[in-house]
Amino acid sequence: MASDDGQFVVVFNGEIYNYPELRAELETDGARFRTTSDTEALLHLYARHGAEMVHRLRGMFAFAIWDERQRRLFLARDPYGIKPLYIANDGWTFRFASQVKALLAGGHVSRDPEPAGIVGFHLFGSVPEPFTLYREIRSLPAGHTQWIDATGPREPKPFSNLAEVLARGAANPVPKAELCERLRAGVLDSVRAHLLADVEVGIFLSAGIDSGALLGLMRDAGQREIRAITLAFAEFQGTSEDEAPLAARVCEHYGARHIVRAVSEMEFFNDLPAILEAMDQPSIDGVNSWFVSKAAKEAGLKVAISGLGGDELLGGYPSFSDLPRWRRWFGPLAAVPGLGLFARKLLGRIVPGLARARPKVLGVLEYSGTWAGAYLLRRGLFMPSELHEVIDAEIVREGLRRLKPLQRINATLVPDPSSDGARVCVLESAHYMRNQLLRDADWVGMAHSLEIRVPLVDFTLLHALAPLIPTLGEGAGKAALANAPSKPLPNNIVSRAKTGFNVPTGNWMNAAIGRGSHQTSRTPEAKGLVSRRWSLAVLNGTASANVEPEVRAS
Amino acid sequence: MKPSPAMLAIVTDAFGGRGGIAQYNRDFLGALAESRIMSSIIVLPRHAPDPPEPPKPIAQMPARPGRVAYSVAALRCALARPVDLVFCGHIYMAPLAALIARLKAAKLVMQTHGIEAWPRPTRLQRAALESADLVLCVSRYTRAAVLSWAAIAPERVLVVPNTFKESFMPAEGRTTRAALGIENKRVLLTVARMDSQQQYKGQDRVISAIPYVVAHGHNVEYAVVGEGDDRPRLESLAHKVGVSDRVRFFGATELRLLTALYSMADLFVMPSKGEGFGIAFLEAMVSGTPALGLNIAGTRDALADGELGTIVSESELPATIVRLLDKPKPDPVALAAAARARFGREKFAAGVRNAMNRLIEA
Repeated sequence: MASDDGQFVVVFNGEIYNYPELRAELETDGARFRTTSDTEALLHLYARHGAEMVHRLRGMFAFAIWDERQRRLFLARDPYGIKPLYIANDGWTFRFASQVKALLAGGHVSRDPEPAGIVGFHLFGSVPEPFTLYREIRSLPAGHTQWIDATGPREPKPFSNLAEVLARGAANPVPKAELCERLRAGVLDSVRAHLLADVEVGIFLSAGIDSGALLGLMRDAGQREIRAITLAFAEFQGTSEDEAPLAARVCEHYGARHIVRAVSEMEFFNDLPAILEAMDQPSIDGVNSWFVSKAAKEAGLKVAISGLGGDELLGGYPSFSDLPRWRRWFGPLAAVPGLGLFARKLLGRIVPGLARARPKVLGVLEYSGTWAGAYLLRRGLFMPSELHEVIDAEIVREGLRRLKPLQRINATLVPDPSSDGARVCVLESAHYMRNQLLRDADWVGMAHSLEIRVPLVDFTLLHALAPLIPTLGEGAGKAALANAPSKPLPNNIVSRAKTGFNVPTGNWMNAAIGRGSHQTSRTPEAKGLVSRRWSLAVLNGTASANVEPEVRAS
Repeated sequence: MKPSPAMLAIVTDAFGGRGGIAQYNRDFLGALAESRIMSSIIVLPRHAPDPPEPPKPIAQMPARPGRVAYSVAALRCALARPVDLVFCGHIYMAPLAALIARLKAAKLVMQTHGIEAWPRPTRLQRAALESADLVLCVSRYTRAAVLSWAAIAPERVLVVPNTFKESFMPAEGRTTRAALGIENKRVLLTVARMDSQQQYKGQDRVISAIPYVVAHGHNVEYAVVGEGDDRPRLESLAHKVGVSDRVRFFGATELRLLTALYSMADLFVMPSKGEGFGIAFLEAMVSGTPALGLNIAGTRDALADGELGTIVSESELPATIVRLLDKPKPDPVALAAAARARFGREKFAAGVRNAMNRLIEA
């Protein structure tokens, strides 16, 4: 879209949730709108505020604005990195797109490998930004802007920082008594903003607290017709792992229409080639999101709310207790130089079976001394010392040198968010959620022409909750969220949700890469080992190749 | 307003030097002097066989061929005066330049050219380059090679293409042809070193293609300009494929003969596999002569991805020579203008100015 005078041209991927307020304000200021699209607001904002415009936006966005008069390009990406933006620069030509695949499709971008991307994928199970698998393609980091002129692109500049928001929040703490009210107000405000649409907005509903509470808040925000989508797996039918009956109760509770979509292993195998095809960057996850998006599309939905981000924001992951504990228990020992390495070598020698069954245990003393190390230990797929077993030694060496994984993780904790909860919140949000969950949500959504909206991943909400996060005790955040709707989530749902649910996709993946799904137990470590094999299969393109004979045979 | 910065240039050779890198450094420093961005530019060369005549405000110190003597002189020179920017003209000198930049809290600009920057350098050199605030590359290929071994923000690595001397322009070639006794022949030309260690320039590939070109009806003469110890090998190759009478070695030529050869030739062909950029392609095209090269390394940049010249794979070379000779020589003035517009000195000067301004602003 171009501005009236033709000076500015914008391309935009995303959604600006405070568009009505922005439009009113811009019109008061004399702007004349020709359309009803939030895209046009970007043009008016840029004309008035230049690069500073990004601070006015609430939403998920990746956009580019070309200034014809000044002959320069402005790129921006939202603070959490909900929307992707990839750039390629060969020194003569600058290209950008929402997908890595799109840049490669043009045929002019080099496919030379990026060791940091390859190593990062093996460390984390997703490719850590700004790297991709290709040296010439990078991601514009979340919360950054970039200028490009005839001399070339300038280095991306940050305009937002999760750690800083939390650090500032910690400096102005809120009494515990206000927790529930503050959280209710913040989340309701975010849900209301995320319902802005000219089409029906549905919701992905599990039997967990996040999506259940969001459904209740959608009601509170005034949405009357709500369709909620839940996945059901034949393997779990009639067991306590089946989320569908509980989700049905939540739907009943809030008067929503429930759509239960059954997914079978067979359908997974059939869809696997399409899943791998749609995957823009390799990922060890996304399968669940694929099917729930598919179901939403079948239901005719174009927009759906997801509870993604609740665990990061409100301390829902085991990492919120594990990381501080590991730091307390092992941190002092890990600070002894060389001890961690020695312990790993020694354990590997005297209990070789341990290295195979629980490979990360060996790294505890080596990594738990720092937040970054502990986080890598918690989220890592392979540990750095294991990489040479799966990739070429030269790529490992170069990749680690370029990626600097621990430094990169630590850098996200500056300034110090000042509480354990806030630190883990930043780590999970800036790494796992950004590089894995949000990226997966984007490609599975796009593959089904579905816009996935995430009210719990909202910078305005983070500002509102930052003063609360340091004081949240274990489970307090989720409890407050369950009570946020004017009609709180039923107690039995809340207590069941605490123990979590399983999905059978891990077993399916295991089967797809040629391991019998029956021998595999469901302990977390075993799941980790499946992910490891799966990651290698995805990267080598063997995941779907292995499936075909089995599909034909059955 | 900030006072204009002072620059120290750590170079192998520049004013009074010979060869491509010296030429580039003169072009670069000259463009910088013209831009008036710097208050002073002190150049410290390792070699300067000819009398140096740098333009103002450039001052060139006496050459110091020895490594140790050079390093001592550079450090003394740096410590004795204000230095805001250090320009390093060769990756081999990067550690010294980085040290000086660090001691003086100055910004570091690294220049890379071609094959010297393609393989991964020593650890010290790599660390020095990674500490640079700006890395200039002559082509996209060299840039990609640097980024393959250096962990540095890609935005700090810019391409500023080579330029050419003003001496070259289209001219009527009849006199030259008469003087050489080749009035009725189509002339192929290569201008390149003949280095027996490197052997990448591709004169051998042209010689081997001549029988095919002749068989397709073209009465060709191959003019080979340049000196080097690989000449005997090329001569014996010409003998072996039976085209000695069609290959003429000119050795190193005077500028006047060189410009005459460039404008007289029907086709400039340099199927090189190792060009950082390939200035000779530009010299041919601004002389009005079409240029042909391989789709490899910096050649793609000099021939503008095929917009200015022709780029082909090695196997397509003989047939492409024939195809290009089948047509009469295209309008030399138009080609010269197009090459000038893309790679002329003004373009180069603007590239240098923009790159340096970005560095100084930051």
